Amino acid sequence: MKADTVREMLPVIEDCMGDAPPYCHTACPMHTDVKGYVNLIAEGKYKEAIQTIRQKLFLPKSLGRVCAHPCEEHCKRNEVGNAMSIASLKRFAADNYDDEFDWDVTREPDRPEKIAVIGSGPAGAQAALDLRRQGYSVTVYEKHPVVGGMLYVGIPSYRLPREIINAEYSLLHRMGIKIKLATEVGKDIPFQEIVDTYDGVVIAIGAHKGFKLPVNGKDLPGAIQAVDFLREVSLTGTYKGFGKRITVIGGGNVALDSARTAVRLGAEKVHLVCLEKDIKEMFAHDWEVREALEEGVILHNSWGTEAIKGDDKVEQIILKKCIQVFDPKGRFNPAYDEGCQEIVETDMVIFAIGQGVDSDFATSVEVGRGGRFVVDEKTLQTNIRKVFACGDGTGISLMAVEAMAEGRIAAESLHRYLNLKDMRIQRDHERGYRTNLETSIPADDTNPERVNTRKLDIATRMRSFTEVDLGFSEEQAVEEASRCLQCECRLCVKECLMLQEFSPDCPKKYFKDALIAGEVDPVVPYSCNMCGTCTLVCPKDFKLQDAFMNMRKEMVMNNGGKSPMKGHKVIDMHQLLSFSRLFNTSRPARNGTNQPTAPTGGGK
Amino acid sequence: MSTTKRVFFPGCSLPSYNPMAVQKTLVHLQNHLPGTGAILKCCGKPTKALGQIDQFKKRYAGVQSEIDRLDAEEVIVACQSCFLTLSEYSPKQKVRSLWTILPEIGLPEEVRGIGKDSDITFAIHDSCSTRYRPDIHEGIRWIMDELGYKYEEPAHTKMTTLCCGFGGMVLPANPDLAQRIMKNRTSEVQSDYMVTYCAACRMSMMMGGKQSLHILDLVFGGPWTSKTPFPGAGSTVESWKNRRKAKKSIEKVLA
Repeated sequence: MKADTVREMLPVIEDCMGDAPPYCHTACPMHTDVKGYVNLIAEGKYKEAIQTIRQKLFLPKSLGRVCAHPCEEHCKRNEVGNAMSIASLKRFAADNYDDEFDWDVTREPDRPEKIAVIGSGPAGAQAALDLRRQGYSVTVYEKHPVVGGMLYVGIPSYRLPREIINAEYSLLHRMGIKIKLATEVGKDIPFQEIVDTYDGVVIAIGAHKGFKLPVNGKDLPGAIQAVDFLREVSLTGTYKGFGKRITVIGGGNVALDSARTAVRLGAEKVHLVCLEKDIKEMFAHDWEVREALEEGVILHNSWGTEAIKGDDKVEQIILKKCIQVFDPKGRFNPAYDEGCQEIVETDMVIFAIGQGVDSDFATSVEVGRGGRFVVDEKTLQTNIRKVFACGDGTGISLMAVEAMAEGRIAAESLHRYLNLKDMRIQRDHERGYRTNLETSIPADDTNPERVNTRKLDIATRMRSFTEVDLGFSEEQAVEEASRCLQCECRLCVKECLMLQEFSPDCPKKYFKDALIAGEVDPVVPYSCNMCGTCTLVCPKDFKLQDAFMNMRKEMVMNNGGKSPMKGHKVIDMHQLLSFSRLFNTSRPARNGTNQPTAPTGGGK
Repeated sequence: MSTTKRVFFPGCSLPSYNPMAVQKTLVHLQNHLPGTGAILKCCGKPTKALGQIDQFKKRYAGVQSEIDRLDAEEVIVACQSCFLTLSEYSPKQKVRSLWTILPEIGLPEEVRGIGKDSDITFAIHDSCSTRYRPDIHEGIRWIMDELGYKYEEPAHTKMTTLCCGFGGMVLPANPDLAQRIMKNRTSEVQSDYMVTYCAACRMSMMMGGKQSLHILDLVFGGPWTSKTPFPGAGSTVESWKNRRKAKKSIEKVLA
């Protein structure tokens, strides 16, 4: 192919958005084919939908309930405040059409290497699954008596029923992963023994260590940490020494989980105290705060903690007015009006102000602030080459689906490490990323309202840990799924019959394939009408006709100056005659006045 | 000193289709714009479209030498492909479309309102080659309003117009695809009647299943009603005969 031809093709090959994935797809750290399964649901192909989901996610029922769904944040419809309800659609497909007999339990032939995974939360479980699929022998050490990490001991059961976690995790057993429950590394087995015994180690222990504010009275009986509270309730169904009046400190999702759990344990008054001035500013999801308010939680915005009082147990909490959360430079730097205080009578104070990592057991691994493991961001390798760390234990707190992606990265790295492969090449887009797609909501779109799932009535949910969200009915799911804009570019293909015939995917693919093949079928460039509709609709203003025209020129040059198309012999003759004197004339203007001229030779 | 300020350049498809319209247009231009000569020649666009760039340059040089010989400062074109080709390759000349000239000089007095009692609504098909020339689109609407015919704007119109199917010499290369593109164009039009301002487009609309006219058929013929017989495809021989007629009448008008 000549340089002129290639020059017109290259920008299209580089920047055509015809194959650009939709926003939801790249926002998902696991790159779930959201558009694919949502549209399968819209078409009533529920079985295919759950199969599509399962290609990327092993716990669709769980994620359908608790995923913080970055896909919805990036949904095009969110620009007008009506993001698709993607997580609930996933839940619909999973709850009703998932069949464990369809699960993919295939794996590569067994390998001799043994891997230890410490922690069975979403990060550890994903790492274990990926490594097992590669054929490694995998053992998971879990300090709790249950699998799931924070899914089980953090998230309350009214959001995620326990039998769902257990059922979805059964895939690990079926894949032949050994799980040692209630086995704490560092206590029941030394970390060094694990490092010495196994060929590779993945640390995925999460962040289960609570913090307390450094205030007077923080160590009084009844002043506790949210993670401990939620864990005990998750494992035992109750909390020893639970009081009637509860105060939760914090504005994030863990604070909300604690407050709503307290409601369900029968507390008479549940206070939620946070620095942020309103629901919008709080870290917790808006809907979570709204549901808590419905359940009677008393919200105290713009309050900080001065002290906790009581003789031999918590009796009061003294609050002080918060007048600033972040300073003008954007740093967390709360300021208070010390003169403005409030006393709240309370039997318990639950601190939900963030978590740290309990990394003391792994003495040989380098840790940073908050006990978090120091890893190479790209490979998740620690200072010990065969030890990788992922999930909440390494960085800022992650969504479950982000933790899974981290687990996948750690598994990939370990696999490369064990096979002496380059650890760093071809590792783009292993997490959520921004697509290069640019689309607009069509002008004629009616912006249909987001369909909301059904909810358990307030009275029932305040009395029990029964699941609050009841999900979509089939009718609702189809209605919601049908709202999907099916974001893609391909505007030119939709407008052009020629592209539909010869380049049905997108010009990028056609030009790329042509460049690789080094030749094109003449019928393709000679089927372009050169009408410019593609350029008109192309967000990048690509002039495909110029590319096709250069192909034509090259073909003519290689064909003795003639078009390679047989049909064009007619045009050759036409042009020959068109330039012959027989049919040409040129006349200067007439001098003098104009006279009406009798029609000559007219008529058809 | 040359008396030729400008030339009328009717192109090839129009003379092959309706030589009488060529002649009448020339007379009309002459009456209102003294100093109008004429050149009947192909601009070479088909050669260029095939990719025969060297051949095209040679042929276009012939066009340019005729313009230069007549010393014309301005070229009035009736074909949108000519408009683009001449605009690009004759940078010294002012290239203007007949469809923007007519609103300036007016239509012949006798044809104003000629279509006001017609029972036909013509769907306008804009040429894709001049999709970015709103002055041309407006000129065509002005002509329709002056004539008094009712007209329809298709979903894709003016800048967003669709190809008639003939562009890029696709018809001889891939007749099946061209036919589908023609059908695609006409299928979004309500009316059974269409008006174009390119003779090749007219042919395509006809092949797409519509009764179709060139806008000069409306200016220099009619009134057209549903009872009027509409022109058909015309044979190749006939079109070359028409071309000869156009040549003869230009030579007669400018004798």
